[in-house]
Amino acid sequence: MKKSIIYIVAVLIMATGCTKEFLDINTDPNNPTDIAINQLLPSAERGLTAVLGYTNDARSARGISTVLAVYTHQLSQREDPDQYGATGSEFNINGSWKGMYSPQQAQTSPDYIGCLQNVEILIAKAEASGNLKYAGMGKILKAYAFSMMVDIYGDVPFTEANKFTTEAAIKYPKFDKGDAIYPQLLALLDAGIADINNKTATNSLVPAADDLFYAGNITRWEKAANTIKLKLYNQIRLTKDVSTEVKALLATPAKLIASTADGLMFNYGSSISPDDRNPAYADYPAGQKSNYISPWFYSIMKGYNPSIFTGVADPRIPFYFYKQMTPTGAPQNKTEYRDGGFVSIYFGSVGNNRNASQDATMTLLGVYPAGGKYDDQSGAKVTATSGTGAAPLRLLTYADRLYIEAELINAGLATGSAKTVYTKAVTESIALVDYVSGKAAPTAPKLAGTADATKYITAVTAKFDSVATTKQLEMIMTQKWISSFGFSVDQYTDYRRTGYPVMFDPNDKTMAPGGFVQPPINGDPILPGAQAPVPVQLSRAYPRTLPWPLDELTVNPSAPSQKVPSTFKVFWDKK
Amino acid sequence: MRKILLFCFAAFVLISTQVSGQDLTVTGMVAAEDGSVLPGVSIALKGTSRGTTTNGDGKFTFEAPANGTLVFSFIGFQTQETPIGNRSVVNISLKNDVSQLQEVVVTALGIKRDARALGYSVARVDGSELVRKSEPDPLKSLMGKVAGVDIRSGQGTPGAATKINIRGNTSLFGSNEPLIIVDGIPYNNTQVTTSSQTSGGGAYGNGLSSLDPNDIASMNVLKGAAAAALYGSRASNGAIVITTKSGSSSPGKKGIEVNYSGSFATETIANLPDYQNLYGTGSSFTYANANGSWGAKFGSVDSVAVWPNYLTAFPGSFPKSGNIAYKAVPNNVKDLFRTGQVWDNSVNISGGNDKSSVSATMSFLKHSGYVPNSGFNRGSIGLGGSTKLANGLIMNGNFSYSHTNQSGSVFGENQVDGASSSFARNLFLGRNWDITGLPYEDAKGNPVSTNSAQYDNPLWAWKHNTVNSVNDRVTGNVSMSYEITPWLSSSYRIGVNQYSLFRREVVDLGSRGSGGLGAIKEANYTNKEVESNFLINFNPKPIGKFDLKAFVGHNVNARDYRDQLTTGNQIVAPGIYSLPNTKTQVADRSNYVQKRLWGVFGEISVGYDDIAFLTVTGRNDWSSTLPKANRSYFYPSASLAVNVSRLFNVPEETFYGKLKASVAKVGRDANPYSLQNTYQVNTPFNGQSSASIYPSAANPNLKPEFTTDQEIGAEVWVLKKRVGLDLALYKRISKNQIAPITLPRSTGFDETFENFGVISNKGVEVDLKFIPLQFKDFEWNFHLIYTKNKSIIEELKPGVTLIELAGVLTDIKPVAIYDPDKGITKQPYGALYGTKSARDSEGNLLINPTTGELIPAIEPGVVGNPNPDYKMGFSTGIKYKGISLNALVDYTHGGDMYSVTVTSLLGRGVTRDTEDRETSWVIPGYYGDANTGEPILVDGKKVPNTTAISTNGLYFGQTFAINSETDMQIYDATLWTLREVSLSYDLPKKLLAKTPIGGVNISVSGRNLWYLAPNMPKYTNFNPESASFGSSNISGIELSAAPTTRRFGVNLRVSF
Repeated sequence: MKKSIIYIVAVLIMATGCTKEFLDINTDPNNPTDIAINQLLPSAERGLTAVLGYTNDARSARGISTVLAVYTHQLSQREDPDQYGATGSEFNINGSWKGMYSPQQAQTSPDYIGCLQNVEILIAKAEASGNLKYAGMGKILKAYAFSMMVDIYGDVPFTEANKFTTEAAIKYPKFDKGDAIYPQLLALLDAGIADINNKTATNSLVPAADDLFYAGNITRWEKAANTIKLKLYNQIRLTKDVSTEVKALLATPAKLIASTADGLMFNYGSSISPDDRNPAYADYPAGQKSNYISPWFYSIMKGYNPSIFTGVADPRIPFYFYKQMTPTGAPQNKTEYRDGGFVSIYFGSVGNNRNASQDATMTLLGVYPAGGKYDDQSGAKVTATSGTGAAPLRLLTYADRLYIEAELINAGLATGSAKTVYTKAVTESIALVDYVSGKAAPTAPKLAGTADATKYITAVTAKFDSVATTKQLEMIMTQKWISSFGFSVDQYTDYRRTGYPVMFDPNDKTMAPGGFVQPPINGDPILPGAQAPVPVQLSRAYPRTLPWPLDELTVNPSAPSQKVPSTFKVFWDKK
Repeated sequence: MRKILLFCFAAFVLISTQVSGQDLTVTGMVAAEDGSVLPGVSIALKGTSRGTTTNGDGKFTFEAPANGTLVFSFIGFQTQETPIGNRSVVNISLKNDVSQLQEVVVTALGIKRDARALGYSVARVDGSELVRKSEPDPLKSLMGKVAGVDIRSGQGTPGAATKINIRGNTSLFGSNEPLIIVDGIPYNNTQVTTSSQTSGGGAYGNGLSSLDPNDIASMNVLKGAAAAALYGSRASNGAIVITTKSGSSSPGKKGIEVNYSGSFATETIANLPDYQNLYGTGSSFTYANANGSWGAKFGSVDSVAVWPNYLTAFPGSFPKSGNIAYKAVPNNVKDLFRTGQVWDNSVNISGGNDKSSVSATMSFLKHSGYVPNSGFNRGSIGLGGSTKLANGLIMNGNFSYSHTNQSGSVFGENQVDGASSSFARNLFLGRNWDITGLPYEDAKGNPVSTNSAQYDNPLWAWKHNTVNSVNDRVTGNVSMSYEITPWLSSSYRIGVNQYSLFRREVVDLGSRGSGGLGAIKEANYTNKEVESNFLINFNPKPIGKFDLKAFVGHNVNARDYRDQLTTGNQIVAPGIYSLPNTKTQVADRSNYVQKRLWGVFGEISVGYDDIAFLTVTGRNDWSSTLPKANRSYFYPSASLAVNVSRLFNVPEETFYGKLKASVAKVGRDANPYSLQNTYQVNTPFNGQSSASIYPSAANPNLKPEFTTDQEIGAEVWVLKKRVGLDLALYKRISKNQIAPITLPRSTGFDETFENFGVISNKGVEVDLKFIPLQFKDFEWNFHLIYTKNKSIIEELKPGVTLIELAGVLTDIKPVAIYDPDKGITKQPYGALYGTKSARDSEGNLLINPTTGELIPAIEPGVVGNPNPDYKMGFSTGIKYKGISLNALVDYTHGGDMYSVTVTSLLGRGVTRDTEDRETSWVIPGYYGDANTGEPILVDGKKVPNTTAISTNGLYFGQTFAINSETDMQIYDATLWTLREVSLSYDLPKKLLAKTPIGGVNISVSGRNLWYLAPNMPKYTNFNPESASFGSSNISGIELSAAPTTRRFGVNLRVSF
């Protein structure tokens, strides 16, 4: 019996041989619970750019430009955005919204990518620790990000957004009206500028290489902030008189983006793993490719369009588009739109050949928008490594700032010669192509200063000279649209504000008589003569804003009911 | 804790003072024929009123004269008399009494109880029912056999996970699978998911696949919370208690027995669609190198251009013209697949003497699937032994090791960017594609197909894009028991169950996935669980008509796992699949997670005159995963059983009736590390490191969640056990769920963990046994089971209207939805949520006047309920002498399914459903505005649709198949399955009398021989049992899954 008690006591000791700490093991040993602000800044910057450019799931970007490039007729797709069909369940709309506000898990890497929540933490931590350079950058990023959201959706959560971990613990942010948000963004930009220039702050941490936009260059941050202000004032010019504000900004041009390198551009790299390439490069490694070049965009650049820049061929074409086929090559399947080696499909097409695979012969995004291949006219099918993907995402460039100035002069809100600024803008747009291809395809030829470039600038300037003010506005906006290729939010905004550039409309009797659009005569060298006209259709009106993402609406009781995109306008939309 | 120590100490003091100075006694142990010990056996001294009962370990101590005779009686066994004859130890084995009705069942913690005393449902499945059915998966072989248990298969390739669910879903996000206990130790049944099963990933297996069915002695299904509550936190979904052969040996089993069983089965794809062979690829009756078979009619075009990818890769293999004949390839899908095989061999050796016994099992299974290069191998060994030491301490121990190796390819939805599903096109190949008739890889080893950019040639994918998982599982446990006095005993068990998985996923050079550059993922996962249970049993003599049994216990559970995943991108040297052979490597994750739990528990059971039994239990847990203040939580249960036949003095041979009722509560803790926000460190970008807040917001104030379970039921047997009915009704309410609330992303977070929500599960279970004919050597029996469960979201949290249970695709996801403002209540758990087609207020479809097709509605909604209305299993058997014939049919009524396979079959125009296509169609409905989704009114009236569309448009446009809104891609999953047919023959013992062979059984069996899904499009022959998400909480969604299988097998069992 005694022995048995010894046994039992022994097992009892084993069973209960535990201390108070036995249960105190619930601290995550795998992930930090606090992080330095110089780790948050690059994260926020990555988050911002991942949702504004193109989508590439494989490298964890859900970019709204993938939809808006179709809506601004730079791309054609067979997917939902065709015929303005992107609904609140469209995955780019949902993905870019989510990533803007809250970090989203990448599909093929361990990363979480997101902007505003990281910005919010960054600002709070930076202010608390006296690192106002970081705080100021955070505010400028935040203001810019929200301006994008208002421009895309009209009304969005702002005052109550990203307040979940604050005292208020807001779980269901209300949607603010766009016109109430804009003034706060301008104030936020001013606060950001004040912060980065604050001389009394301790600034124990100073941004450097962790700043993926400007590598810590404060002067350039200030230029960017001022130029964003200029852009915002310009965008609301039809809602109120902004002449005082814009004149004040234009009075000190050195405080604005004033050179190519000043531009607000996000540098991508060429590394496949970890992938730091421009998401727009996605179609190069992809088997099934989805981004066709819009024939509308292409034909304007070729000088085919009868009403704008007619007969003026754009020398930027080999930087913009890469043709996987030679002019006389055999396509993979019957083509819908062919112009020599250029192969694409129409917006709104219901033609027989629209759905035929052209992955090996379709024309792709080139070096300028995507870091793809410079078109050396070889007509070779691309592989995953044909290009580098190292093209920067150009959010706000020196060219953009010049186009804005030209528009303001055209509208009578600023002084100066619209023509001079317009010419300067086009010249800068061409220099920008060299800047980008210098990063993404260093062996590509230089364009600026070539005879072709000079001839083009002269020709489009002459066209500008010969037309009335309204048409001049169309030319400014059309050039800006061409220059923007690769980032489409501002072009969507510009079109809704100004009605320019003119977009392709399948229901327009001149563009598509009888519901058919005619591809170039003799465009197909294998079958000379007229290519078969392509039936096109469109049953939706132009979306004045994008529908709100269902992922937000379904779980946010404070959200409004889903809008009808064709009638719901941003406050600055007076068209 | 201190209190318990005190309590135990007090108990010992009590024991040591009482147990002294006893006279001569007879001790012994009572076991059943199978060697399992029998507690509660009545022992009487013949001719006197003196008696006792055996304790929880089947042991007794009794004072008796040497010339006396002991009478052992126990319900379900033949009464046996044994003269003592000067022995001080009398061990005895009782024979089963077939005329008796009841049995001993294993309840929580391995405690055996007379089934009559139980106030809750426990179902027992004998090990022999799990083998001999050409089914290597122990869970699948339970299909249709136990009421209340819902088993769903996943992918049709070997080793793929099976989902099991008892009495519905109690947790929004936690596991809804039952706790699985093998030989007293929890058995981790996790499905380790390495890559998203939406965009790729393999047919991952779950942990239980490492358990060898040959080694299973019995499975007890503890359905309700009352049955399982003592197992603690994880038992709110019920428990499956498995005893292995090696784990069930106990002293007193004499002799040596050797059993061999071997089986062989062939496996084929269960069925393929009926394909049309009139039209080839293209659209609008015009040939093109497209995916859809909507092109020119065969015979109308003589030849077509060779597919460019084939022509480039094999220029010499085609005519100089570059054209080949345009003709149907009727068997192009069938020829992709092969006949798989299952080889299973197992040997069990057991033996023992008075004091000791030992049992060993060795098995090997080799299973090759119908998909080339898919397979599952399992080798296992197990050894268990038991001995009684001279001082009376009984020691048990067992050890098992199993190794499994699963191979297969990549699945998923091929339309997701970068994915490379090996089933991307398989079932809907263009009718003129000759995949098997042409080579599948070029000289460089790259895949070649009709369109290499869109899909990898499946023959190539199966060979090159591989998912291999190797599991090693080691279990070991030691237990000791000791009888302190005849009415007090104690036992202790400690065991460990360690499971490690190594998985390698390869997307090879040239694949559509990974940009053709190749990628390798290596996952390492190790899960270790240590469980310790200390028990003190009180088994005092009956006091008058009252019989009391009780125990108290203490439980320590420690779990930890390590989870590592590394991706190597860009394979350098072809054909070598190791991480160093990649250009760059990214550490995706490397987590170490710990969880610990303590519990104390107890049970008191009081019986009155064998008429009524009341059992009360209680358990208190302390969990490491909850905040300190909320770490301790208590939950009780009570159950009552009333023996009606005894109450009214009806002989049990003619009528046995039991009424049962129980109520129980089970608590559950949180996942580890849910209390603190963390940051995720990202991979370097342009050489720059960065970190992001993790978007799942933690909550430092979590409380435990509780499930309350009420059950009533009855068991009735009449006509000498020829008709038996077991009926149970239950209602379970799960409250205070620890679940993430899906946050609007504008908060900056995806979700936050809170305690909220109410899920109810209400159900009915019927188990009816009936023997219509029974003669001397002949029996014909029926067994019918019926399971109905409704899992309803009763409430979320004020303001919370919808929670995503998992992300699948933007257009389809399982949700919990409760939105009384919109009249959306009483929605099922896991409701399928997706986009809808616009309808007018009367429910008519709205048609786009421009296209004649449907219009997407502005608002999405619930489009389906994946939970079946009810399930039935119907089996029958005929036995004549040694021959028996058994058949099992199961039926699933209702349940909705989103099927990519079906919509693709229709949308690609490959089945006979779309063969009649030379007509045009007008979709009934009214014209609508594509901008607003509202009807177009002319003079205030709706305009009926008159716009005709082609058959091609009817299935390829925004209409009724692949390019439609989600609501048009949902089908009713009602299914009839002829699950099992087997014919077996026991060789007459006479024939074997002169051989060392004790018995021989030969059987042939067929599995899944036939099925009918009446509400699926007719010629798709789609079996809605296919599913893409294995044992996860996602059901009713199929993304190009591998179809189910059919097997024929022969089996041999020999015992020596």
